[in-house]
Parts: sequence; C-alpha cells; structure tokens
Amino acid sequence: MAVPTTPTEQRRLPEPPTITKRALSIGRAIGSPVGAVIFAFVLGAIVVAATGSDPFLAYGDLLCGGIGLFCPTNVYPGFQISETLVYATPLILAGLAVAIAFKASLFNIGAEGQLILGAIATTVVGIKLANWPGWILLPLVLLAGTLAGAVWGGIVGVLKATVGAHEVVTTIMLNYVAQFLLEDLIVGGPLQAPGQSSVTAPIGKGAQLGRLVPQSGTFLGLPGGVYRVHAGLFVALAAAVIFWFLLQRTVFGYELRSVGQSTRAARYAGISVPRTIIMTMLISGAFAGLAGAVAISGLRHSLTDIYRSETTGFDAITVALLGQNAAIGTVIAAIFLAALHIGGQFMQGDAGVSSNLVDALQALILFCIAANFVRSLKLRLPALRQMPPSKSKEAPGVAAVATDTEPSATPNVKETT
Amino acid sequence: MNFLLTVLGLLVTGGFWQVAIQETALLLLPALGGVISERSGVVNIAMEGMMLAGAFAAVVCDLAWHNPWLAALAAILAGGFMALIHAVISIRFRADQIISGIAINIFAAGMTVFLLDKIYGVEGIGHVPPNFLLPTLNIPGLNQIPLLGQALFQQNIVVYIAIIVLILTNVVLFRTRLGLRLRAVGEHPQAADTAGINVYALRYGAVITSGLLSGLAGAFLSIGIVNTFVPNMTGGRGYIALAAMIFGKWTPLGATLACLIFGVGTAIYDSNSTLHFSPYLLNMLPYVLTIAVLAGLVGKSVPPAADGIPYEPGSH
Amino acid sequence: MSTETHETSQRISGEPIPFAVEMRHITKTWPGIVADDDVSLQVRKGEILALVGENGAGKSTLMNILYGLLRPDSGEIFINGKHVQLHGPRDAIALGIGMVHQHFMLIPVLSVSENIVLGLEPVRPGDLYDDAAAAKAIRELSERYGLNIDPHARTGDLPVGLQQRVEILKVLYRGADILILDEPTAVLTPQETNDLFKVLRGLLQQGKTIIFITHKLREVLEISDSITVLRRGRVVGHLITKDTNEEEIARSMVGREVVLRVEKKPATPGPVALGVDDLTVKSERGLPAVRNLSFELHAGEILGIAGVEGNGQSELVEAVAGMRPAASGHIYLNGRDITALGARNVRDAGIAHIPEDRRSSGLILNYSIKDNTIFGRQRSGGFSWRSIVLRLAAILEWARRIISDFDVRPPQPDVPVRTLSGGNQQKVIIGRELLSQPTVLLASQPTRGVDIGAIEFIHSQLVAHRDAGAAILLVSAELEEIRSLSDRIAVMYEGRIVSFEPANAPEERLGLLMAGGGRQQEHLSA
Repeated sequence: MAVPTTPTEQRRLPEPPTITKRALSIGRAIGSPVGAVIFAFVLGAIVVAATGSDPFLAYGDLLCGGIGLFCPTNVYPGFQISETLVYATPLILAGLAVAIAFKASLFNIGAEGQLILGAIATTVVGIKLANWPGWILLPLVLLAGTLAGAVWGGIVGVLKATVGAHEVVTTIMLNYVAQFLLEDLIVGGPLQAPGQSSVTAPIGKGAQLGRLVPQSGTFLGLPGGVYRVHAGLFVALAAAVIFWFLLQRTVFGYELRSVGQSTRAARYAGISVPRTIIMTMLISGAFAGLAGAVAISGLRHSLTDIYRSETTGFDAITVALLGQNAAIGTVIAAIFLAALHIGGQFMQGDAGVSSNLVDALQALILFCIAANFVRSLKLRLPALRQMPPSKSKEAPGVAAVATDTEPSATPNVKETT
Repeated sequence: MNFLLTVLGLLVTGGFWQVAIQETALLLLPALGGVISERSGVVNIAMEGMMLAGAFAAVVCDLAWHNPWLAALAAILAGGFMALIHAVISIRFRADQIISGIAINIFAAGMTVFLLDKIYGVEGIGHVPPNFLLPTLNIPGLNQIPLLGQALFQQNIVVYIAIIVLILTNVVLFRTRLGLRLRAVGEHPQAADTAGINVYALRYGAVITSGLLSGLAGAFLSIGIVNTFVPNMTGGRGYIALAAMIFGKWTPLGATLACLIFGVGTAIYDSNSTLHFSPYLLNMLPYVLTIAVLAGLVGKSVPPAADGIPYEPGSH
Repeated sequence: MSTETHETSQRISGEPIPFAVEMRHITKTWPGIVADDDVSLQVRKGEILALVGENGAGKSTLMNILYGLLRPDSGEIFINGKHVQLHGPRDAIALGIGMVHQHFMLIPVLSVSENIVLGLEPVRPGDLYDDAAAAKAIRELSERYGLNIDPHARTGDLPVGLQQRVEILKVLYRGADILILDEPTAVLTPQETNDLFKVLRGLLQQGKTIIFITHKLREVLEISDSITVLRRGRVVGHLITKDTNEEEIARSMVGREVVLRVEKKPATPGPVALGVDDLTVKSERGLPAVRNLSFELHAGEILGIAGVEGNGQSELVEAVAGMRPAASGHIYLNGRDITALGARNVRDAGIAHIPEDRRSSGLILNYSIKDNTIFGRQRSGGFSWRSIVLRLAAILEWARRIISDFDVRPPQPDVPVRTLSGGNQQKVIIGRELLSQPTVLLASQPTRGVDIGAIEFIHSQLVAHRDAGAAILLVSAELEEIRSLSDRIAVMYEGRIVSFEPANAPEERLGLLMAGGGRQQEHLSA
C-alpha cells in the first residue's frame, strides 16, 4: 500500500459557514424546551380528541385563560392576565430555588416544603407584630419567610454534605413533614383563628404587599378589586436579578457552578464541596421560602390548608428545566406554566376538559426535556451520588491510564446529539 | 412514661402487628421493585406513580368486572405500563432518570384524577363491595397462636405473595445467572456489554418488573386494604419504599427490615386512638423516621456503581 | 529502509493461506472528524502485529471495530479468509476474537471467576450459577497458559498486573484465537511487562494471533513480527520489525524528525523550596499509598519522580497540593509548615499544580477558556473584589495573556474548553499555573495525551521557569520525559522513594528500581 503524501491534518468533514453555526447554536438552545412544549401539546391534542372533546376549543381556552388572547367578548383578558401573573409570582421564586440547586447539581424537590415553612413564618410574624408600621414589618415578614425556607433547605444540605443523604429523598420527606406541620398548626392547632376552622387570623396591614391595580374604581371594564396581581411580582423579578448576579458575577456563584460541573475538579481548585452544598441549599431554600412569604403577604394574607392540593413545588421543577436554569428563562417559563394552569381552569369551565389535562401536559413536557437535558449536559460528571463518592468503581489500573482517546486537534467538535 | 407503657402495651397486641405487617408488605413490593431496578443501574423514583396507577386501575376494573383477580392483573399491567414509559425514556433516550421518575409521578397523579372525573363524573367512584376485594387468608390452626397468629397467619393474600416475591428476589439476585448478569449491568455496563450481555434488555426487564410489583402494591391498597380510590391515596409510600431500599443497602433483606420499621411506625399512627397524639404529628412519623434513617443509620450505603448513569456504548 | 507492504499472503504449494485477520478500507467518522480513514491491515496466524501511533491516531477505534463494539462506515473484515459482519462483541467472540482493553472491563465487586465467566456462565438447572464449575474451568486455563490466579479473589482488591491476567483469561475462556491487546503495558512495571511477553510468546506458540496496540517503541521492537503505523486516522506504513528501528518508526508516527532530548543548561539549584518529611498518605481506599517519604526540592531544579503509576505518586502530589490530607509527617514550603492547609491556601501560598487528569480535575470542560484560567484562583485579589464579586475585566486580560503566551488555539477566550484539543487544553492549564509565578510547581503527567508539537513547547516552558528559579516536581509515567527534563531523579516504588539518581542514570537501572530493584518476583497481594 502506498504511503499517502504526508498527511498533515486529520481529514475533517466540511463545516457549515459561521452564520449558520451561530443560528444553529441559538436554535439549539431554545430548541430543546420549545420543542418539548410543542411535542407535548401535539400529544395533548390527541388525548383531548380521543376523550371526545374538541382540542381547538380546549387550546383556545388555554390561550384565553392564560394570556388573554382570542377571548370571546364576554371574557376579560386583563383579568386573566392578572390571574396568571398572580400564579406566576411564587412560581418564579420557586423556580429560581430549584434552578440554583440544579446549577450545583442538586435536586431540590423540596421547594414545596420550604415554601410552606416560609408561609408559616410569615404568617406568625405578621400576626404577632400586626400593629407594627409597614416600612419595618413588611421587610421583616419577608425576611422571616426567607429564613424559614433557608433553614428547611439547609437541613437537606447539611444531611447531604455530612452523611451523603440523597437530597431527592430528604427533600420529599421534608415536604410531607412541612405539610403535616402546617395542618397541625392550623387545624384545631395553636395558629387557628378563634371561631374559624383551618385558617389563621389575617396578618397585619403593614405586612401586606399592596395590589398593583387600585382597588377602588374600575380598570379595563371590571372593578379594581377584582385584580389580584400584587407587588410580590416585583419582588420575584428582583429576585431573578439577584439570582443572575449571584451566579454569574460573584465568586460564590463561580464556585457553586464549579461544584455542579465536577466535584473532582472543585477539589482540585480548593473549593470546599460540602460547604458549597450547604450554602446552595440554604440559598435555594431561601428563594422558596420567599415564595411562600410573598404568597401570604401579597395574596392570601392568612394561612390556610390550601397547600394540600398545591403543586407549586413540582411545577417549579418544570419551570427550572424549561428555563434551563437561567434567570430570564425561569421567569418566562414560570409565566408560561402559570398561563397553562389558569388557562386550564378556564378551559375546564368553558370546554369541559378537565384541568388535569394540564398536569398531563406538564408531565409530557418534563419527559421531553429530560431526554434533551442529559444530552446538553452530557459531559458533566455524575453528581447525584451519595458522598463520600464511591470512586472505587474503577479498578486500580484504570485510574492510571487516562490517555486521550478522542480525536485530537478539533476546535469544532460538535456534541453528538 | 405513660406513653412508653402504652406503646409497649401495643407491641404485644396481635392486632398491632397485623397492621404493621400489612403495611410492611405494602411497602415491600415497591421496595423490592426499586432494588431490582436500581441493581440494574436505573434509578427509579416513580414507584409512587406506578402504585397510584395500579390502585386506580384496580378499582375501576373491579367495579366493572366484579373480579378482584382480574382487577389485580390490570393493576399490575398498569404499573408495568408506567414503568415501560420510564424505561424507554431512561434507557432508550438516556434521559435524566430522576426527572423521568418525577414526570411519571406527576403524570400518574394527573391522569388518575382526570380519568376519575371523566369516567365517574359527579357521583364519584363509589366503593367496591366486600366480596370483590382481595381476600384475606386465614390459615387454620396457625392463626390461633397468640400474637403471631393474628399477625402472620391472618393476612391478605397479597402479603403472602409479597413474602414469596421476597424469597424469589433474593435467590434470583444472588444465586442465579440472571441475577449475576443483572448486578454486572448495574455495576459496570461496559464490561457486561463487552462480555456479550444485552444491557438494554436486562435494564428494561428490571424496570418493568419494578412497575409490575408497584402496580400490585397499588391494587393491594385500593382493593385489599381499603375499597375505593382517592386521589393521591398512596400518600408518599413510593418514596418511603425508596428510602427503605437505600436503608437496606440495595438488598432485599435489608429493604424488608426497613419496611418493617416503617410498618411499625404506621401501626403506631393507626393506634392513635389509644395514644391521643396530634394526628398530624403522628402522620409525620414515617417521614421523619426516613430522614433519621438516612441521616444516622445509613452512613456509607453504596449504590450499584453505574446506578443512574445512562449507558452509552463506546463510552469507555 | 524498507517499508515492505504485505501482499495477499505467502504461497505454499500454490495455495494462498489466508490471513488470520484482514481489515480492508475501513473508514469510521465521528461528528466533524474522521477517526479512521481508509485503513487496511493484515496479520498472519501465529504472529504479533503491533498497531502503532500517537494518541488520537485511530488505533483504539480500529480495534473496537474489529471487536464489534463499533460499526465502520465502510470497509470489510475478513477472518481466516472469510468475510464477516460484526454486529456486536458476541459475533466477534463467536469468531474467536478476544479483546483485552486498555481500561479494564472488570467489575470490582465480583470475584475473579465471576468476571471471567460473565456472559458464558456455567449453570445448574433452575438457572443457578455454578461457582464450582467456574473455578474448575479457570484452574484448568491457568495451568494450560501459565497464568496463575485465585478464582475466588475479589477482583477490585487485586494489583494491576493480576487484573490484567484476569482480562487475558477472560478472552482465553471464550476460546479466543485472535487476541487484541490495547496498550497492555501502560500500567505494568518492566518486570511485569517481561512476564506478559513470556505469556504472549507462549500463546503464539499455541497458534494464537495477536494484535498489540502500543505507542512504546521499545516494546514494538521486542515482541512484534510486523508493524502497522497510523497517523491521524490514516495508515502511513507497514513495516517488518526485524528490518526496521526505533527512529524509523517514530518518524512514521510523527512525520518528521523527533527531538527526543530537551535543550537545557545545567541547573543551578538554590535553597530548599519544598521539604517533605516522613510523609504518610492514605489512598482512596484507606491503604497507605505514601509511606514515610522524605525529600527536598530546591529552587531552580527539576526533580523527576520516576515510577510505574499506582505506586503512590498521585497521592503524593495530591497531598502536597492540599487535596488529600496527610496521615502523618510534614510538608514545608520555604520553611513554613503547610501540611494542614487546604488546596486553596496551598495554592495561594505559591504552589501551582498541573493535575494528572486535566479533563476531570484541572478543567471545567463546559466553562470557557477564560473561566478556566482563574480556576483555583477565583478568590485571589486580582480576580475578585474581596472574594465576593468577580473582576471581569481583569479576568479577561489574564486569559488573553495566557492565550497569547502559550499559543492556545483557537485564541478565543469565550470558547468552551471542551472543544479544544488535548494539547491546547493542557496549555491552558500550564499557562495559568506557570504565569502565576509559583514558588513550587507540581507537574503531574504534563504531556499525557498531548501531540508532539505541544510537548516540545511545554518542555521548554518548564525548563524556562526552572531557570527563572521555580522549583519543579515532575511526575511522569514516561521515563523518557523524566530523563530528559529532570536534574535529579527519585524513583518511587510502593509508596517509598527507593533511590535518588542523577539525571544521566542508565535506563536499565531506573527500570529495575521502578520494579522494586532487586526484589524477587512481583508481589501477589495488594
């Protein structure tokens, strides 16, 4: 066989021009969540049709109920949008909580429990100090909720960092504990308002986040009091900014992301993995606790056992994944999911399709995202293990030889999809 | 002190242990499923959803066909179907297995309520008549033994099935070729693959088995212990089974011990009428126990080495 | 020199004897790159073919195709003259092909016999695994091929040389006649390598055919009958071993004259920069990996730690770097006791660390080049304000400097580092560690998986920094590298330094010391 004339380069397949590459990479970034959503909706339409309802009517209702588009004349889009924003407000915060944990490769499924603790703390402080002026009481109740959530998350972090308890299980357990704690407190318990059942007294005026639409007079054809959207929305948006800043601009954020990418590399860099895990869960719990605080302070004003059927914690997982754990993405995803839920309620009343369809849609979205999620993070080392890491899976001879078996010299190696 | 004496008094009551063993069996089936699935390398936190689907399917079919055996079969298949979805997503699409598990749970929760409304509407699902429930087996003679008799020999048939499954699982996993291959796949799938073993088939089989077992547990719950379906009636038992598996260091016998502890916890809750505790605090007991277990007693519990990592050939 | 190519077989009495293995025009592509480009090779029965090339040349990919683990995009495979289609390892095994992988395919928690028989297990009725039958079969194989092993030992506890034995027994158990060995000597001492070669020669005599992947030229010359050289996915030569030499093979591998020696002035060592005193360090599994080890490293010198991997070098470096706690003993930096400091403080104190595993320790692959250049130093005053907020402009400036000084390609700070070649990735790490003006530099396998051009550059940078006064501790499994770079050499064996040698110590002496120097036989337990 003749020797080929001095090959200097490994033969490469031709590359697409750079503009297309840029477009492709943006497309890929959006593609995964958008694709998942589209796919889920298509499947959902099939299910709706199969159970004898009209998918177009159902989806039209979702649009109207969620974001006020294409509404029939007797429905008020402004109101729908307001309701969606109300639902979205704690969801943004809970989504940020889950997202920041994900960034450290931690699975915080306990946003629900942390949220409940936040709500409890807010209510307690809001009632006990009900007469205090707003400028000090409001920050105080929000702080109380944040701290309570942080503690609830911190427990998980400590357990994981010290004995390696898997956070998926501990967070779920703490969710149940939180729920029962709540019920114990308000169903015939110490926080129950006298003469009432399963609800506390309302928090003081000073502890309440104001409504955004003036409550007297009318707005867009409806009395102002009907619009429930409240200043908590701004709190949530501010939190998103803080989230972004924390992750991208601070040293701690850098270390958090590093731990999430590779605990082994983090050890090399002198980053304390246990400390980072604990701090991350504290912060994550804080965001979720704030979600609970904001819900009480801005919306409900007193604690009820609504949390029995609430799903904010699990919704937050979908939100974080759809938003790809980024600040802007989380906000958009939260609004999207909120729109789905509110739209679903409307759809149930109007088209008769059960709002549980929304749950099914959400699950489908999760499935699709999960399948893509792993691909885009393929090169991360698995961090969902118990500590101390059981690295002894490799035979002693294996760790030694780490020769590069990948093709060399390619700045343009694309991910295998 | 009084409390302690009351509890001790309970511990020698046959009725108490009957409830405890019953709950143990209810947890054991999904726990064993979890062990099998994770031993093959697939993380499965969807037992909750699979149980729920099974519970729903059992009641619906029992009301329709008036046959608890067929209904149980339907439940088993329902669980298996849910597991199949999880398997396809985790194995074929190499998705993140925890997210897939969560999605299954959300899906099952939503779907069961959706169908509940769709099929039964406003009147609700109603109850299954007693003669169409999964029967209790009273083993004559043995059930007269004080304490043990009531606890062990007067149980629902599913409890005995669970015991058989336990024995089978233990033997298959550690003494047969199939079990050896399964464990190999969970520890080092690349090595198993190069030895010519079909990694995918084994993992599919393991995950589906976990679904079948969870489905049966669901049937036990809805047409064995109670007689109807209530949304989210599994109440976190799937997750407790998960904890039992971890506590038991991914072995069948270890998981059984853990389930027993949780079973006792539930029995204490059930006996609350004699204890007069706040029902909600008592409700927390199994969950707090789980955390305590994970925090203190488990320590260095090592999962199968390839657990949770999707297998890609050529990735050595 | 002759570069004969094999034509189709010899002719004896007019009948062509087919090759045991023939691969024709094999092509395999990955996204963006061609791993194997129209590759052909042949091996005769009873012979050893050495498949030679640098890292990334396509050797492992080619053999994975032969073993059925990968499907080629085009090309054909012939076994004993018959065209075959391989859909998986099962097909390959059925044809008598066995592969001993570079990274062992062993399951640590299972026993030796379980690992060997996995996939072809003896069973009793009821699918019960028959352990006794397995043990018996293995003992028979052991005797026949001279590979002693205890069937009931826990595989994870065995030393590397014995684990390799298990791998070889695996393929023999399946009746392999064609054995593929992927870099088998990478983890063996010279003594173990000799034992392996004895076994291989025995196998050849029993009619087996062997394909041996390696990049170690000495071994190629010692054991093989013929050689196929790959470079960047293409065949650049078929050689007959007895007709060629090391230089010719190296030239084929690289394409130009290879500079095997580094130009350097003699060292002028200064005061002691790093002192290690009676240090004991435990391995991941709790066994002592470094035992009562002591040495002094002076400013302006390169001390090379020679030794086969797995003798405690990794743990030693990790302990000095602060990544692993010392069980006993002390580490001093310029007289200051730094034994208990963590990695961050050690780094701040002036010890830089080039890790042996850049992909899993030294870099965050998904981070940009820029973010990787501050990895480990993100809290220092230059890159952050009070360890709280990152100074983005300063970081960018730093990254640009490293990229230009070390010729990192592509020279774009925001590109994720995972897309860089091994050599460029290593340059990012070495750039950031060297430019931080360390007092002491720990360089662990600094040129592993790096192409030759980058190797020369890295070597010259190390020497330059030595001349500027840095104290460098060099750990490398490549004896050549140690000998060409070091001013002094310390040989490590089983956690101890068995000897300090001058830089010009003969290779045979070093090899002997690395193997335990004069001790009888390899040890048979961990």
